Amino acid sequence: MKSANRELLDRLAAEYVLGTLRYRARKRFERWLRSPQVGALVSAWEDRLAGLEPPLKAVNPPPAVWTRIESRLGLRAVARRPALRWLGVAAGVLFFALVGVFALRDTGPKVPQLASTQRSLIEADPQTIYWRVEVLGDHQELQLHVDKVHDLAPGKAHELWALPEGGGAPVSLGLLPHTGDHHRVLNPTQRAALASAKQLAVSLEPSTGSPTGLPTGPVLFVAPLAKA
Amino acid sequence: MNRNDSLPPEIELAQLLQRCAAQDSAAFRMLYDKTSPILFARLLRMLRRRSVAEEALQDVYVRIWERAAQFEMNRGRALAWMVTIARYCAIDLMRRERLTLVSDDALAEFPDESAVEGLGIEKPNHFDDCIGRLNEKTRECLTLAFVEGRSHDEIARLTTNPLGSVKSWIRRGLLSLKECLSAVRQTT
Repeated sequence: MKSANRELLDRLAAEYVLGTLRYRARKRFERWLRSPQVGALVSAWEDRLAGLEPPLKAVNPPPAVWTRIESRLGLRAVARRPALRWLGVAAGVLFFALVGVFALRDTGPKVPQLASTQRSLIEADPQTIYWRVEVLGDHQELQLHVDKVHDLAPGKAHELWALPEGGGAPVSLGLLPHTGDHHRVLNPTQRAALASAKQLAVSLEPSTGSPTGLPTGPVLFVAPLAKA
Repeated sequence: MNRNDSLPPEIELAQLLQRCAAQDSAAFRMLYDKTSPILFARLLRMLRRRSVAEEALQDVYVRIWERAAQFEMNRGRALAWMVTIARYCAIDLMRRERLTLVSDDALAEFPDESAVEGLGIEKPNHFDDCIGRLNEKTRECLTLAFVEGRSHDEIARLTTNPLGSVKSWIRRGLLSLKECLSAVRQTT
């Protein structure tokens, strides 16, 4: 990101968090929040301006508010029928197991032939690593290892992205598996993106992956891609 | 930190959010019981009208449920994360509907704050020093925007200052605050 752009984005991030952008500008800016760089600027301003939070006296909302929230989210039906809920969870688990096998076009947990050239740890902190990603050869293949299962809502999936250096559009590297070791052969677009990437990102997407070819859900992780 | 013992402990809230991310509706109810009086008070502070704040509170918890997976446990500050969602919901509503909430009638619904409790949100280190270094007019503009959700136009009207001055004070105030917080972090 050029420094002039970065300064402008930082100013917009500050006024977004403060709340002084007009409605259309606010909504336009929210589209940029998908970029990890812009997301980081906003987070930094949220932390800074939290100091302005006023002291408050708690006020109990009327019970009808909770009833309406439950109804909007369809939670009451879920609470009454736990068996159906678990059936849903089981179906979700089965679905993701199938996604792990078929939709990713993985070639399974075979032993890779190429040497590992780059590595990335998708982690919340050094004690909580979710996925280990290895780039093999000249960006030809990926080896994925699930270290710890990251929670996922039914109907959602984790999608892996290469973030080209200089702020180009992210390129999908496919959905992330939730168990075991996986090996994946990359296509030419993915190889080119990885060759210029210094970071990987994971976003939350519909179960079949991003419908647009770009991250549509929140970016959950951004991890550096380092030489092996 | 102005943490109050009666406020829900952060770790518990963070764990409840994690369970919400796994679609645990019982955890969501517990989270609502523990935090809704705080978020409702925060919304009332911005929206002023109870009926509007009640509607907004629904939107806030729908967003919290849908976005619970985005909460980063390692960054902590579960309550601050939820308060930010509440602020953004209120700001969206105020900007979209161009709600003018300055009327005295609306102020009648404003909750009594004589018995003040700390919200329990951690301030950045040296925040008070840095905000204290700004001039009074700038501080007032930033507070009206952040705490009450006022737009540039409303702040200009409320403080009887020219719009251009208000915009410029806010822009420079934010920059000064950032520089000051960053400078004290480097020296400590």
